[in-house]
Amino acid sequence: MALFSVFQTTFLLALLSLRTYQSEVLSEPLPWAPESLKVFINSTHQCLHLQWSVHNLAHHQELKMVFQIEISRIKTSNVIWVENYSTTVKWNQVLHWSWESKLPLECAKHFIRMRSAEDDAKTPEQSFWSNWSSWEEVDVQNSLGHDPLFVFPKDKLVEEGSNVTICYVSRSPQSNISCYLEGVQMQGEQLEPNVTVFNLNHVAFIRETGTNIYCKGDQGDSIKGIVLFVSKVLEEPKEFSCETQDLTTLNCTWDPGSDTGLLKQLSQSYTLFESFSGKKTLCKHKSWCSWEVAPESQEMYNFTLTAENYLRKRSVHLLFNLTHRVHPMAPFSVLFTDVSTTNATMTWKVHSTGNYYTLLCQVKLYGEGEVTQHNVSVEVDGEQLFSGLEPDTEYRAQVRCANANHFWKWSEWTHQNFTTAEAAPSEAPDVWRNVKSVQGHSVVTLFWKPLSKLQANGKILFYNIVIENLDRSSSSKFLSIPAPANGTELNLDQCSYQIHVTAHNSVGTSPASVIIVSGDPGNKEVEEERVKGTEDGFSLSWKPQPGNVTGYIVEWCDRPRGPLCDLQWKSVGPTTTSTVVSSDAFRPGVQYNFRIYGISTERVPYLLEKKTGYSQELAPSDNPQVVMSNLTSRSFTLSWKDYSIESQPSFIQGYHVYLKSKAGQCHSGSEKAVLSDDAVCCKYKIDNPKQKTFVVENLQPESFYEFLVTPYSSVGEGPHGAFTKVTTPDEYSPILIRVILPMVFCILLIMIICYLKSQWMKEKCYPDIPDPYKSSVLSLIKSKENPRLTIMNIKDCVPDSIEVLNKQEGTRKSLTETESSKPTYLYLLPTEESYSGPGPCICFENFTYNQAASDSASCGHVPVAPKAPPSQLALLTSPENLLKALEENYMNSLGEIPAGETSLNYVSQLASAMTGDKFSLPTNPPEPALCSEYKMQMAIPLGLASPPSSGSSSLSSFTLLDEGEHYH
Amino acid sequence: MGSCLDKYQELLGQLQKQADIMQHTSLLLDPYIQSQGLDKDGLKEHCRERPGAYPSKDALQGLGRWEFLRTLDTTLGHVLHRLTALRRDIPRAQDLEILNRAKQNIRGFKNNIHCMAQLLPGSSETTEPTPTGPGTSPSPTPTSDTFQRRLEGCRFLHGYHRFMHSVGQVFREWGESPSRSRRHSPHQGLRKGTSRMQLSRKNKRLLPRGQLPR
Repeated sequence: MALFSVFQTTFLLALLSLRTYQSEVLSEPLPWAPESLKVFINSTHQCLHLQWSVHNLAHHQELKMVFQIEISRIKTSNVIWVENYSTTVKWNQVLHWSWESKLPLECAKHFIRMRSAEDDAKTPEQSFWSNWSSWEEVDVQNSLGHDPLFVFPKDKLVEEGSNVTICYVSRSPQSNISCYLEGVQMQGEQLEPNVTVFNLNHVAFIRETGTNIYCKGDQGDSIKGIVLFVSKVLEEPKEFSCETQDLTTLNCTWDPGSDTGLLKQLSQSYTLFESFSGKKTLCKHKSWCSWEVAPESQEMYNFTLTAENYLRKRSVHLLFNLTHRVHPMAPFSVLFTDVSTTNATMTWKVHSTGNYYTLLCQVKLYGEGEVTQHNVSVEVDGEQLFSGLEPDTEYRAQVRCANANHFWKWSEWTHQNFTTAEAAPSEAPDVWRNVKSVQGHSVVTLFWKPLSKLQANGKILFYNIVIENLDRSSSSKFLSIPAPANGTELNLDQCSYQIHVTAHNSVGTSPASVIIVSGDPGNKEVEEERVKGTEDGFSLSWKPQPGNVTGYIVEWCDRPRGPLCDLQWKSVGPTTTSTVVSSDAFRPGVQYNFRIYGISTERVPYLLEKKTGYSQELAPSDNPQVVMSNLTSRSFTLSWKDYSIESQPSFIQGYHVYLKSKAGQCHSGSEKAVLSDDAVCCKYKIDNPKQKTFVVENLQPESFYEFLVTPYSSVGEGPHGAFTKVTTPDEYSPILIRVILPMVFCILLIMIICYLKSQWMKEKCYPDIPDPYKSSVLSLIKSKENPRLTIMNIKDCVPDSIEVLNKQEGTRKSLTETESSKPTYLYLLPTEESYSGPGPCICFENFTYNQAASDSASCGHVPVAPKAPPSQLALLTSPENLLKALEENYMNSLGEIPAGETSLNYVSQLASAMTGDKFSLPTNPPEPALCSEYKMQMAIPLGLASPPSSGSSSLSSFTLLDEGEHYH
Repeated sequence: MGSCLDKYQELLGQLQKQADIMQHTSLLLDPYIQSQGLDKDGLKEHCRERPGAYPSKDALQGLGRWEFLRTLDTTLGHVLHRLTALRRDIPRAQDLEILNRAKQNIRGFKNNIHCMAQLLPGSSETTEPTPTGPGTSPSPTPTSDTFQRRLEGCRFLHGYHRFMHSVGQVFREWGESPSRSRRHSPHQGLRKGTSRMQLSRKNKRLLPRGQLPR
C-alpha cells in the first residue's frame, strides 16, 4: 500500500512538469493565426458574416485548421457564443463564417474575436492555439438615425411555432415605452437602459399580411412597429402518385396541404425530378404536374417531388414501372347488334395503349332490377353476348377496362341502353265478373287485370272477348276492346255463357282466360262472418270444398262507401283455403265485405262464404238522431230507427243511454256513470245493436232530465255530445185533458147542430119581411091602373106628424113613469082632414125589431133624436129640411148621450097591421081604415130597450105622409 | 374617353354624387384596415390623415374653378399612382378587387372633371386640365419598412376620403348659388376671348358654356 502511494505521487509530479512545459510553448504566436478579420452585418437575416485569411501559408500548401470564434454581446466579457470552425485552408484563401443571432443585431453591440490552431484529428486536445485576434465591435445602433424609437427585427419571416426575440431601442430612456402584439401589451426585459427585449414563443399564424407588433411612448405621438410574417409550416406533399392513360404522358398528382403564401412570401413551389433521366420540371400547378414519357420507352421512373418555400423544402419519392401505372381511357363506340326478344350482342372499342397490352373489361347489365356482370379480355375490340333476356325490356349496359397484366385502375364507365324485341303475351289475363239481374236480363260486368310487364312481353293493344252461348251452341259473339281498358259490360239473357278473354300485342295473342256465366245465379244465402283485420290486411280462410274445384276467388271492394266500389279479386289455387288480402286502399274505420267463390271444374263460380271486417276498428264517430215520444210524467220513449249500424267505423255492439237528473238516483236497470266533465248520470246499457227504442221509466213528474244515446263497440263508444233536455209534465194534466176534450167536443157538436137548425129557428121565430113589390096589394093597385102609385121610398116621405116620446134625462125612474111619457104627435103636414089625395095608402107596422144603433143605416129606419126640441121641429117646413134636421139632430144626439146610454135601440119595425102582437098596437093610432101602415120608430138607448111595462107604449112615433102615401 | 355630357347642371350633379360616394370609407379605407390588421386599439388612432398630404377644404374653396379642377385632377392622379403602389401590400384577391374598383371610380371621376373643364368658358384653349408641377402630393415616398408603409397607406386612404368629402362640398357650393361663392361662380369670365388662365388669376366669375349673361 505504501509502495502504491509513492508511485502515484511520482506520476502526478511528472504530469505537472509536462503541463508547465506546454504552457511555455503556447505563449509563442503560431505562424497561421487568423488575420484581416472583417465582420459584415445582414440585418434582414440577423447574421454576422466573418471574413478572414491565414497568412504564412506556403504556395500550394493546404492545412487543416480549426478556428475558435467567440462572440460577446454588449461587452466583451459577456461571451454568448463559442464555436470551433474546422476547415482546410489553402494559400491565400479568404475564409468565411456566418452566425445568425437570435437577438436582432440592432438591439445590442456585439464583439467577435477568433484564434486558430492546426486541426490534428488524432490528438485534438494537443492543438496549439494561436493568439486571439483583437475584438471586432459590431454596433448597428450607430447607423440607425435620430428617430426617438426603433423596433427590431424588421419584416422578419418565421414559421408558425417559432420563437422570436424582439426589441426596441429608445433614444430617450426616460420615456415610458409600451409594446403591443396585435393590440395586446407585451412584457419584456430590459437589456440595456435604452433597450428592452421581448421573447415570443411559438408564434401563431394570424393573417397573410403578417402580425403587427408596435411600440409607443406614453406621449402617444410616436409609434414604431414591425410586421412579423408568420408562415404556416410547409407540409410534405401527400398521396403523390403518377399514372398514364396513353403511355405517352404521365400525370402526377398530390395533395399539397396548406398554402404557405404570405405578403412577403409566395406560395410554395413544386418541382418534379426524375433521377433516371435526370430531368427536372417546375410544376405550374400546386397539385398536379405532367411529365412527358421518354420516346425510348423508359420503363422505370424514380420521381422526387419537392415542395419549397422561403423557409423550407420538403420532398417525397416515387419509384414505379410505367406499365404498372396504366389507367386506360373509357371504352367507346358501344353498340348492340342482333337484338332479339331474349338475346343481344354488345360490342365496344378501347383506346390503344400499345401492342403488348391486353385489357380486362368488365361488363355490367342492368335490367328488371337485376345486375349481371361479365369479364372480357380485350386487345382492340370487345364483344359480349347477352342471353336470357326478357322481351320488350330496356336494359342498361356499361363497360370499363383495366390493364389485364398489371392491374392499376379501372377506366371510367361507358354506358349504353338497348331494348329487346316484343313477344306474344305469355299469360292469360286474370278475369272476373260481376253479374246483376235486371228485368229478366243479366248484366255482366267483366273485369280483367292488366298483364304484368313480364307477362305482356310488349305493349298490349287490345283485348278480344268471345261470348259463347252454352245453351245454343251455334250462337256466339265477338268483341274487341282496345287497351288500356280493364273491363266491359255485357247484356246477356238468362242462358249460360262461356266467355273467352285474350290479350293482344303487336306480335301475338295471349292464352285465353275462360269464365262461365250461368243462367241461374244460384247464389245461396250465406251467413256473413266477421273477420278481424290488421294493418297488413285481412287473413281469410274458408272450408275446403268436397267436390272438384279448380280454384277459389276472393272478391271485395276497395272503396265500399264510394259510388264505384272498385271491385277487386284475388285468385288462389284449388288447394288453398286461406289467403291474406291486403290493399293500399284499406282504411281504418271502413267496413270491407269479402265474398269467397269456388270455381267449379266447369269454370262456374259459386259463392261459398261471406266475410266482413275492418282493417282497424275505430270508436263510433256519430250518435244516432234520437226521437222522443210518449212523454208522460213518469216516462218517455226514445227511438233511433234511422241509425245504420253498417256504416259505422266498427261493429256496433249496443247502445248506452245516459240520463241526467237533479235527483241523481239511478233505478234498477241502470248504473251510475261519471262523464268526462265529472257530471254524474245514470247509464242504461242496450246489448242488442238492432234494438233502437228505449223507454226511460221511473221518472218524477215535473222534473228536468237530459239524455244521450250513444253507440258502443269493442273500441269504445260514441262521442259524448250535447244532451237532449226534457221536462216531465205534472201528473194531473192528462186526466184533465181526458175530461176537457170530450166536453169541448160535445159543446162544439151542440153549436154545430144549433147552427144547422138556425134556419129552421129563424123561419120559425123570425120570418122574412115580405117584399112590398111582391105584395098582393101592388097587384091590386095596378089593377086600378094608377101609374103614379108605386112603392114609396123613405126619403120621399114627408112626415106629417112626429111622435115624440117625452123622455126625462137622468133617471130610469122618470122613464118608467107612463103618465109623463105619453107620445106626442107633431103634425107637420095636413092631416087627413086636409089630405085630398085620391089613392089608397099602404101602411106597415112591425114592433118586433130591436136593433143596435150602429145598424141604424138600414133602409127605412130614420133615426129620430130622442130629445128633439119642438122649436127645431117647427122649422121643418119641407121634407128635405126635415130629414136633414133629423139626421143632424140624430148625430148631435149621439154625442150628447151619456156614456152609460150610448147604445141606441131602434124600434123600427115593419109589422103587419094584421098581426096580433101586443107590442105592435099603439094606443089610439090615428090611422085610416084602408091603409097599410109602416111605422118608423125612433131609436132609444139600448139600456132602455126593455119592453114597455104597460100597453101604453113609451115609444115615440111619427107619421110621414106625402101626397096620399102614408108611411107610419 | 367617351363623349362628354354638355349639360352643366347634370354634369355637376354627377360629380357631386360621385364625390359623395367616393368619400365613404367603406370603399377603400375600411377594407384596408381590416386586411392589414390595423383595426386594433392603439393603432386606429394613428390612422389619421397626415397634415398637408391633401389640400384642405378651405384651400379648395379658395380656388377658382379652373384651379380647383386642376388641383383635383392632379391630386387624383397621385392617388391613382399611390393605389397602384398599394397593391404590393394586399395579397388577397378580393382586397385587390376592391382596390381596382376604386381606381376605376377615380378614373371615371377624372373624366368627368375633364368634361366639366370643357364646359367652363375659355376651355377651347386647353382641352384637358394639365397636372400641376409642384402641386400637393398626397403621399410621401413609400418606405421599405412594412409597418410604416402600412400606416402611411392607412393615413393616405383616410386623407383621400376626407379630400373627396371636401370636393363634394365644393361642388355642392357650385350648384347651390352662384352668388354665394364668387370664386366658384359659373358666370365668371364669360367675356369672349378671355383666356382661362387670365380668368383664374383675376378670380373672375365664370359661366358655363352656352349660358348667356343677363
